[in-house]
Amino acid sequence: MGEIHTVTLVLEAAALYGATGVLFALAFLTVGIGRIDPGARGSGLGFRLTILPGVVALWPLMLVRWIVGGAPHGGDARDDKGVR
Amino acid sequence: MAATYTPVHWNRHKKIYDLGIGAGIALYIGVFIAVASATGSASANTSPEILIISALGACAFFMLHVILAIGPLARLSPAFLPLLYNRRHLGVSFFLIAFSHAAYATIWYHAYGVLNPLVSLFVSNPRYDAIGSFPFESLGAFALLIFFVMAATSHDFWLNNLSAVVWKSVHMLIYPAYALVVLHVLLGAASGHGGSALYVWTVAAGFAAIVTLHVTAGVVQYLRDKSHERMIAVGWIDAGPAREIPENCARVVSVPGGEGIAVFRYDGKVSAVSNRCAHQMGPLGEGRIVDGCITCPWHGWQYDPATGRSPPPFVEKVATYDVRMASGRVFVNPKPNALGTPAEPAKIG
Repeated sequence: MGEIHTVTLVLEAAALYGATGVLFALAFLTVGIGRIDPGARGSGLGFRLTILPGVVALWPLMLVRWIVGGAPHGGDARDDKGVR
Repeated sequence: MAATYTPVHWNRHKKIYDLGIGAGIALYIGVFIAVASATGSASANTSPEILIISALGACAFFMLHVILAIGPLARLSPAFLPLLYNRRHLGVSFFLIAFSHAAYATIWYHAYGVLNPLVSLFVSNPRYDAIGSFPFESLGAFALLIFFVMAATSHDFWLNNLSAVVWKSVHMLIYPAYALVVLHVLLGAASGHGGSALYVWTVAAGFAAIVTLHVTAGVVQYLRDKSHERMIAVGWIDAGPAREIPENCARVVSVPGGEGIAVFRYDGKVSAVSNRCAHQMGPLGEGRIVDGCITCPWHGWQYDPATGRSPPPFVEKVATYDVRMASGRVFVNPKPNALGTPAEPAKIG
């Protein structure tokens, strides 16, 4: 029974994380994304739906990017904001 | 190339590539089911559902090997470069097949009890100390989690917003995930899920092929680097006779401890730029000059060979290198200029 309780707890935590990610993604994909990446301004629904799973999975990182703003660090070869 | 993001930058080649992936998947699953049914390798107790689960799993496993083989094969021979261009599409397709396998298996084996199917998946078999009945499903589940993160971050948006280093690190997780999948398959065979000797040997041969390809590609690259180390001892790098570089193509030379240099021949002159595309560090030297611009073979990013700058409105830059001609041979200063610095092309006498 202990294993069932532990696994249930972990899965519930994962579900909570995912649900939070979905709520965050709604705000991020409508408002935040254009603020952290100019290339996303004016992009269509198809692109936003394409990156939706990643936003849900990595929402804490995107939240930090949204709050802090600016280009990512750590050796990015791109030194400007041109996007394709 | 486009100024704003789109889901996929479709072109004719990508459509053909994706059609090939779809046809290959359908063919593999169809042949798998037909052969398993005809040869009796599916036992009398094997239901159609289990056969489909097996076919999806085997197809995903095969696709994973293809994905892992493309990189070293392309380094060993340019003939494999077309497979490399849209590898991300193959990766996402692989994830969808692997996910289908996992979802169908979870429903089939765990959805008809009193427990939540996902809870059942992890607790129904607690024998982590027994090889013959190891809960191999959990290994597959963890690998699938890694593949999900990789597939979900395959768009250029993630490369730009996670940074190239973080993005590459995330996608290098394919190797531990591959190890988990190999164990998932072998331990699954050991506990009676498809475990003939031929099956196990096939898995071992696939693993050996992937390891051999990677080691071979690494050794070849090492030998190329050593050869160029000798040249740099005399200062500028001898990139060989200019006439041996095909028109609008490049020869790649290496700098010890540095990055490769792509020496392009075009319009009766030569120019040298970094071999690494600013996008995903793609091998510019394996691309061609199209409409006057070096065009990366991976995703088509372009640069002026004399300045290392992308044509407007794009603003990406790569490093340029000074070049000169002597007795018909191209010599390159191994010290890179700043990104996007114009370097006078050397005229081929």
